Amino acid sequence: MAPISKNIRLTLILMFFAFASKAQNGLQMDIAYRVDIPTGSFTNQVSNASAKGFNAALSYSFNTKFSLGLMVSYNDYYQKYPRALYTDAHGSTISAVMTNSIQQTPIQVVADYKLIDKGIIQPYVGLGAGFNLVSYDQYLGEFDNPQNAFKPTFSGDAGIFIPVSRISSTAIRIGAGYNFTPLNMGGIKNLNTFDIHAGVRFPFN
Amino acid sequence: MLQKQWFYGILIPVIIIAGCKKDPLNHLTNEESRIYVTDHDSTANFQSYKTYSISDSVSVIQDNQNAGQLLGLYEINLINAIKTSMQQNGYSLVDKSSNPDLAINVSEIINTQTNVIDYSMYWDSYSSYYDPYYWGDPGYGYYSPYSLGTYTSQTDGTEIDLLDLKNASANGSKIVSLWSGLVMGQDIYNPNNAASEVQKLFSQSTYLKAN
Repeated sequence: MAPISKNIRLTLILMFFAFASKAQNGLQMDIAYRVDIPTGSFTNQVSNASAKGFNAALSYSFNTKFSLGLMVSYNDYYQKYPRALYTDAHGSTISAVMTNSIQQTPIQVVADYKLIDKGIIQPYVGLGAGFNLVSYDQYLGEFDNPQNAFKPTFSGDAGIFIPVSRISSTAIRIGAGYNFTPLNMGGIKNLNTFDIHAGVRFPFN
Repeated sequence: MLQKQWFYGILIPVIIIAGCKKDPLNHLTNEESRIYVTDHDSTANFQSYKTYSISDSVSVIQDNQNAGQLLGLYEINLINAIKTSMQQNGYSLVDKSSNPDLAINVSEIINTQTNVIDYSMYWDSYSSYYDPYYWGDPGYGYYSPYSLGTYTSQTDGTEIDLLDLKNASANGSKIVSLWSGLVMGQDIYNPNNAASEVQKLFSQSTYLKAN
């Protein structure tokens, strides 16, 4: 029997608890603002945090604890470096102000599980897997060298839901996560980031 | 209620996506937009050359064809700055009739056909821009052992080429390019920028010295 990865095992455990819980199903949407901080070799190109990001997810809540859906995220990274000398592919020496501009648009299947589904603070954990549309522009001066990639991406996050009232299913969502995207482009081996996000979950009922 | 939620749920992300990307070009000054590209024949011994001559005007290369000569204030400042830098690097200016070791051609490269300027093509047609007879004997050709690459741009460039006249016969009747400097970006043809453009090209070419 083939070994089951830790992520799959965790997903199966979450799904078990989800379906074992009391049913309260329905469509819901999450909108969140997010800030991403590059980690690993990503910082060789951009070390500045991206303060221009968001999550938008449409999910189905199987009960009060477990939901499964599709999430689209976006973030924009930008960093300008002072004038320096570079060597191009032809071996020429170039004096330029380098600007790296990277946009990530991950599209993931996401699963959330509330560890506690009652009270003012309801902690949760979440997992996601999908693909990341990456746009990478490296400018030397005003001259762009655009590249695009479509890569697998994985994410995990944890945080809390704070219901806005006792009678409403709408809740404020605050969390932090880690995002993995392997890449081999322009000296970047990955686009891994640590993120913090805050937004609202509201039901369609 | 449902329609209103959908409206805001979809509209807000779309607005954010449309307005989120920080455009690098909007955050560059004219000086920051400029790049200075240099390359040279790695086999050349620049200390073996002592004298040079420079063309008395700047050639305009438009869409890979020679479109004439220019000698406005920018071009005058450019040529004077080249003379200054060459002198600082130990080379002596002589008349072209005095058998200079080196020749310098200066070009303004204008591309109106596409947004791509390919500097390998620039060298392919070099003989049509500059008559080899101007520097040497009839039948000579030009050759560059390097190329400065391809750039996607809506702007034009200024290129300075340092040519080997001393060894043209030994090189099989070829006038070999020893060094090229290229400036591209915004506001490069401003007469006030000519001296700094030349200074940057020479300062990043530390091997380009007679002594």
